[in-house]
Amino acid sequence: MSLGSALKTGDVAELPSRRDEDWRWTDLRGLIRTLPAASPPGDAAALKPGPFDDLADETVTFLNGRRLSGAGPVVISADASRTIALRFVNQAHGTAHHSALSIALEPGVVLTLLETHEGAGAAYVADVELDIRLGEGARLQRVVLIDEADDAIAVATAEVELGSHADFAQTALTRGAKRQRFETRLRHGTAAKARLDGVYLLGGERRGDLTSEVIHNHLGATTGQLTKGCVRDQARGVFQGRIIVNRGADGTDARMGHHALILSERAEVDAKPELEIYADDVSCSHGNTVGALDEEALFYMAQRGIPDPEARGLLTEAFVGEVVDRIEHEGARDIARAWVAERLRAAQ
Amino acid sequence: MAAVKQTVDQVEALEAYKHGFVTTLDQEFAPKGLNADTVRFISAKKDEPDWMLQWRLEAFERWLALEEPHWAKIHHAPIDYQDSYYYAAPKTKAGPMSLDDVDPEVLATYAKLGIPLREQEVLAGVQGAPKYAVDAVFDSVSVVTTFKAELAKVGVIFCSMSEAIREHGDLVRQYLGSVVPVSDNYFACLNSAVFSDGSFVYVPPGVRCPMELSTYFRINAAESGQFERTLIIADKGAYVSYLEGCTAPMRDENQLHAAVVELIALDDAEIKYSTVQNWYPGDAQGKGGIYNFVTKRGDCRGDRSKVSWTQVETGSAITWKYPSCILRGDGSSGEFYSIAVTNNRQQADTGTKMIHLGRDTRSRIISKGISAGGSSNTYRGLVSAHPKAANARNFTQCDSLLIGKSCAAHTVPYIEARNATARLEHEATTTRLSEEQLFYVMQRGLSQEDAVALLVNGFVREVLQELPMEFAVEAQKLVAISLEGSVG
Repeated sequence: MSLGSALKTGDVAELPSRRDEDWRWTDLRGLIRTLPAASPPGDAAALKPGPFDDLADETVTFLNGRRLSGAGPVVISADASRTIALRFVNQAHGTAHHSALSIALEPGVVLTLLETHEGAGAAYVADVELDIRLGEGARLQRVVLIDEADDAIAVATAEVELGSHADFAQTALTRGAKRQRFETRLRHGTAAKARLDGVYLLGGERRGDLTSEVIHNHLGATTGQLTKGCVRDQARGVFQGRIIVNRGADGTDARMGHHALILSERAEVDAKPELEIYADDVSCSHGNTVGALDEEALFYMAQRGIPDPEARGLLTEAFVGEVVDRIEHEGARDIARAWVAERLRAAQ
Repeated sequence: MAAVKQTVDQVEALEAYKHGFVTTLDQEFAPKGLNADTVRFISAKKDEPDWMLQWRLEAFERWLALEEPHWAKIHHAPIDYQDSYYYAAPKTKAGPMSLDDVDPEVLATYAKLGIPLREQEVLAGVQGAPKYAVDAVFDSVSVVTTFKAELAKVGVIFCSMSEAIREHGDLVRQYLGSVVPVSDNYFACLNSAVFSDGSFVYVPPGVRCPMELSTYFRINAAESGQFERTLIIADKGAYVSYLEGCTAPMRDENQLHAAVVELIALDDAEIKYSTVQNWYPGDAQGKGGIYNFVTKRGDCRGDRSKVSWTQVETGSAITWKYPSCILRGDGSSGEFYSIAVTNNRQQADTGTKMIHLGRDTRSRIISKGISAGGSSNTYRGLVSAHPKAANARNFTQCDSLLIGKSCAAHTVPYIEARNATARLEHEATTTRLSEEQLFYVMQRGLSQEDAVALLVNGFVREVLQELPMEFAVEAQKLVAISLEGSVG
């Protein structure tokens, strides 16, 4: 049951609905009555440069679900590219498409994956499926910017499998869409490390959903998660994080944090940080807060003569900044920071 | 020799489940199985007015259309709802009874359980000891309610539900099902059709109930279910503290206990509801035990009202319950303090819902889960702040403690914030019993079992403090007994 399988079979009953507990806040079946027609090929000549072009050794582009160059899985061996820009560009209007890609990292290699989901059309339905495998000791840093059209429905799902001692670090930043969901399902290897961070900045009637499931099956793996969000107008942010520690996964250390600011009367945040634990030698925790900007901090800034809108902007930027600062890749971090600042300013 | 006696007592007290005896007595049953006639039988047995029968029959119709929910993290063989008795009661003479009319076997049972049914017995202890009134429910009927006269002097109504339906029909009709609607969920709907007895409390405006009220539920009959219904109304400015205790015999079969508890607090009223749930948990292999599928909800209907739930859950093969608060009145507040202990093959899926509807509403959730043996313990909760709940505040803390390699602990909190001035905070931790602490305590000469009990007591202390004194001592012992044999 997924958007992908509904697009493949043409059967709306395959769409996840509110009755599926993992989709209760992002109901697709209630939204999509009939599945739209398949998207035509896009116009490659109309492609604008991607935000990460200057940082990448290589660019892989999907236009309306079609890959523009190359085929088959991307395999990163010791002598392959170190930084890849991965672009999913949606030029469609009222149509649907599906993109899929496998990425495999051979043992010990290091890759930076700079991913963008770009909306250049309207009212489209886009589905992305990624399959990412990290060999023993491999390291992957994934930074994702999601910029879909206001009236788009977009779902991106990544299945991630980590070999032993592998290190996976991800930061996803989204501004939502009519419905937008970014899902990561990760299976740990022995003593592997994962960082799954997220930011959602939602305004208007946009909705954004950051969902993750992390499974610990082996000894000594660690998971750290920090997601922060700001919602205003009538936007709605969703965070769902599940950490499963199966029997035998002793020595697991898992920490999850989700913090959100509600900046307007009619905005909404729904969150479900979940722990499912079947092993006893573990240390797991989660923290979750939802609230408004700190009145005391606002007062302090007002006292210093900073106008209210500017003070709010600064505080919000600082709030989200904590997540952005965790991006290791300097160039990507700067772009992510600018991306956040621009979207926060646009909202004011 | 006193020391030897004390040791013997202690060993006896530590026997896994000391309430597991069966009382042999003459009982009457409804015919086995469940259909509209069963519902009519129960209603007729209780001499109910017609509106009550119609209410039950309607609930039964709706129940037939519902499906058993499966979203909780619990596993059990399908329940055969036709293979059970829905009414079981000790045979008695007709009419209202005094304590002298109650079957001596029933009285002996309560004596054995340590529940004072004779008012003078309560007074016989230390001078100045606090009084508490008891409503004793044995299978499907309330056998006796104590201190009724003394409570009536201040206008407090404390009686069995059956009596309330007969004597205070208007109050019951006004409030019954107003917090937990008939078809709220599968088990609440079943309860609405076949509920037998339970307690009814009404505290009039401005009255502070002069003593603790309590109900003691005992399942005795085999192959039967217990479906009690409790309704507590605190009128404007009233206060009441209510305690609930429960036990059942040790049997190989699984018995269903599907209760509904409704609390209504009007303006400035406060209800404190404490439970020590000690139903038979089944044996170490998971055979037998009670299925405790309960719906408990408090409605803070009035401004500045308060509902506080405290629960100590040590028993039952399966626990499935979420005592909740609907914070409707402006400035109302809800509290939920919980200790859930599971051992062997027990499964618990429990937590709370705090629904913030009114302005300036506050809620606080402290949940301590302890899993040992091969058991599974889930905290499941919902905190929601609606658009009108300006300045709503919630603080939630859920801690889970794991003892042993094959137990499980889960935390599933839902948060829905639809208000810019609401502040909701949640934190949760899951860890195992610290080896360092254990080592330290054992170094001081405590046995491993005592050391575990001591550390666990420290872990749950915050919740124990919320219990009325007499219950706190009992609960502390229960927690220790429940974890018996879980280490080493």
